[in-house]
Amino acid sequence: MKLLVCIKQVPDMESRFKPDASGIWYNEADLAFRMNEYDEYAVEQAVQLREKLGEGSELTVLSIGPDRVVEAIKKALAMGCDNAVHVQDTAASAKDPWQIASIIAGYAKDKSFDVIFTGMQSQDRGSAQVGVTVAELLGVACTTTIVGFAYDNGVITAKRELEGGIKGAVTLNTPALVTCQLGLNVPRYPTLPNIMKAKKKEITAIPAADLTTSESLAATTSFHPPAKKGGGIVLEGDVGELVDKVIAILKDKTAVLR
Amino acid sequence: MEATRQIYWNVGHSVVIPMYLMAFAAFGWMAWGFWQRLPIWRLGKALDRFDRYDERIKRMIAEVFSQVKIYRVTDGGVFHAIFFWSFLILFAGTMLVMVQADFFTPLLQVNVLSGEFYKIFSLALDVAGILALIMLAGLFIRRFVVQPKGLEIVKDDYIVLQLLFAILITGFLTEGVRIAATELQQNPALAKFSPGGLLVAQIFASMTPGTQQVVHQILWWLHFVLVLGFFCAVPYTKLRHIFTTAANAFLAPFEPKGSIANINLEDESAEQFGASTIADMTWKDIFDADACTSCKRCQDRCPAHTTDKPLSPMRVVKQIGELAESNPGGSLIEAVSQEALWSCTTCRACQDVCPANIEHVNKILEMRRNLTLMEGVFPGDEVRTAVSNIEINGNPFGLAYAARGEWVAGLPVSLMEQDSDVDILYFVGCYASFDKRNQAIAKNFIKICAAAGIKVGILGKEEKCCGEPVRKLGNEYLYQMTATENIQMIKAYAVKKIVTTCPHCFNTLARDYKDLGLDIPVEHYSTYIHALLQSGRLSLTPDPFSFTYHDSCYLGRYMDIIEQPRAILANAGGVITEMAKNGYDSFCCSAGGGRIIAEEKLGSKISEVRITMATETGAPLLVSNCPFCLSMFEDGIKTGGAEGQLQVRDLAEIVAERITR
Repeated sequence: MKLLVCIKQVPDMESRFKPDASGIWYNEADLAFRMNEYDEYAVEQAVQLREKLGEGSELTVLSIGPDRVVEAIKKALAMGCDNAVHVQDTAASAKDPWQIASIIAGYAKDKSFDVIFTGMQSQDRGSAQVGVTVAELLGVACTTTIVGFAYDNGVITAKRELEGGIKGAVTLNTPALVTCQLGLNVPRYPTLPNIMKAKKKEITAIPAADLTTSESLAATTSFHPPAKKGGGIVLEGDVGELVDKVIAILKDKTAVLR
Repeated sequence: MEATRQIYWNVGHSVVIPMYLMAFAAFGWMAWGFWQRLPIWRLGKALDRFDRYDERIKRMIAEVFSQVKIYRVTDGGVFHAIFFWSFLILFAGTMLVMVQADFFTPLLQVNVLSGEFYKIFSLALDVAGILALIMLAGLFIRRFVVQPKGLEIVKDDYIVLQLLFAILITGFLTEGVRIAATELQQNPALAKFSPGGLLVAQIFASMTPGTQQVVHQILWWLHFVLVLGFFCAVPYTKLRHIFTTAANAFLAPFEPKGSIANINLEDESAEQFGASTIADMTWKDIFDADACTSCKRCQDRCPAHTTDKPLSPMRVVKQIGELAESNPGGSLIEAVSQEALWSCTTCRACQDVCPANIEHVNKILEMRRNLTLMEGVFPGDEVRTAVSNIEINGNPFGLAYAARGEWVAGLPVSLMEQDSDVDILYFVGCYASFDKRNQAIAKNFIKICAAAGIKVGILGKEEKCCGEPVRKLGNEYLYQMTATENIQMIKAYAVKKIVTTCPHCFNTLARDYKDLGLDIPVEHYSTYIHALLQSGRLSLTPDPFSFTYHDSCYLGRYMDIIEQPRAILANAGGVITEMAKNGYDSFCCSAGGGRIIAEEKLGSKISEVRITMATETGAPLLVSNCPFCLSMFEDGIKTGGAEGQLQVRDLAEIVAERITR
């Protein structure tokens, strides 16, 4: 069986984001990068399936971006992926989800992957479109935001998280693509022997231009911090008055008393 | 009459040959017993502890004969030391008798055991015998009547105590009969130099000479056989410690305290990291189990054990020995338990107090290395998060690495990337960089340096966690990654001296980074400020205050910095009331060994126990000089209900307030 897991390297969300010179994406200076959190669940699930299938199965990890994304690829390899594809693209952040999905589909179309894992969305752009679009382009079954995964004899049984904590169950025949949500698993911490082994695993580099077939459909036009909200209010005076003031504010500005 | 005695009186010289044959047989038996232990010790990995021979011998002789490590703890220790010295005198006396009887007399025809020397000799041995008996009685009462908490009673204790009592008593009885028969009437003046024997002689005084001779022969042989029994029992009972504990004084490491062997991460053939079975331990780790006397001093001082966590350093040492003997292929970590391993704060109280030079801490670290590097296990999810934060942002909080130097706003500090021509590089550490409460340490340290005219530089966002917590949790890989990056960064500037305000950073940079190629002097601010005061570059206007002082484990026990912080605080006008556990006996705050990033889920809170010790002094102020300690105590004061009663402050805060303007 052939498995693919798609990962993205994103800035750590604690970083101080500043718009870049063009004002349409963030400036990368002073940012710490890491593997997208949801993609870690995807890698873990893919590795678990790879381990269950054993010999004869192969798990490839794919990432698109500049050279720095190799760090994230190495982590996925250390977690247990067999080999990797680095789609080299210094302008990946300027591509929209459609283009990214097209690149992945362009790579995967003749590889006959049985199961493809992705995160449910990226932490930085958060479009949640790439996984489903890849499935659509490849013409395979797809389910999203999974928090449970089982595979048996060509059938995936996935547990999905719905609004309000309700869970749903889905079965899909392979080939299929799943997008992974928090709660699916606890990503493993790579062991040192696996980190060492990962250093010797093959990372195939493919220039993005070789796989880019379509133009951007949705252009990001601006990246900016939210407008500053007003500061806090300190109320002073008699307790009776304070209560009235608080009630007035709650009525005026919130929905709690309506 | 001449003051001497006839050796082999009543037993005759015909005993010499059978006596020696039996003695050699007993020594052979003893040697065989130890020989049989060799294959067990050899299950461990190689480790060279036979270099610097002369220094090792000197240390062994000094430690064994002075008994200094034994009587450091008076309970049991004083009895043991006096017993040891007494028994040593008895042993030396017996050897002298042997040399006199079988060498001097037949070969040289001289008798050194005569005249005034014999009187001193006789008195010394008698007094030693009496003292030994009293000490033995004390030890007996301690073990079987008083029964201090945690002191185990095992089969060996019955055997050894009975044997020693029997040897001493038969010794006095034999002497008593001889004195009754040869001195009581004939030379009463000489008998006075054997006070013990003289007393016992009264029992036999009324016997006929014939009966005395028969009784003497029986007692002589009984005493002799018991002594041989003693030698035979050595390898098979706790008596083995006479050799193994002494050997450990020879085998103890010469490396600076706290040294941890680096794992070679370049070695791509390595497939096993840390210790999962006995074969991954060194032979010394196994030998340590034989050197342990179960005195439980380590256990009594272990902050984890005393707060009801499932760790006893003594048990860990014993478990390694037991596994080596019963199931060398078995899992060490199962034998010791993960919970026990994760409970250790690496405070070194166990190792510091151990009279047998056992190395507890690194054993635990090797097993943690296995858990972390081979299994990817963490003591809790919060630790997993903190470790991943260190990987990504270089600090356990997960805060933006680029914000690391933001605390300096408005302070006279150079960012090294802008101006590296500084007197000292201040390695700030994660807590003083990011944690609000601990930033006060950093800011006040800068104030102090400014007052002394010291130009300070920091790395700012170029600095990362020193790697200490993760290393102590076993993650050597992440430690070496962050350490190497820090070292490269520091080396890129012409740094003359590094000063830290964190004892953990201090230990790591000063000792551990050396192994990775950093060779720049590193100081903790306690000694640095102390030197500034001594040289007159800094002067304080004393403002009286009453306080108690907490010795951080990594400053006191690990680095022997005990007096300097106290001297600074005295200089600042402080009047100290010491806690019972201070200096080398200090009690951990709970944050060492990587526990700073782990929640304390088992037993009671160590920090609260320490806070109670501080409040018991009656002092309203607890002074510490470690960001980890400060964090733990701020927390312990709140959760332990000491708010309003005790305040914790850092040394730098106290000093900065008293700078002479």
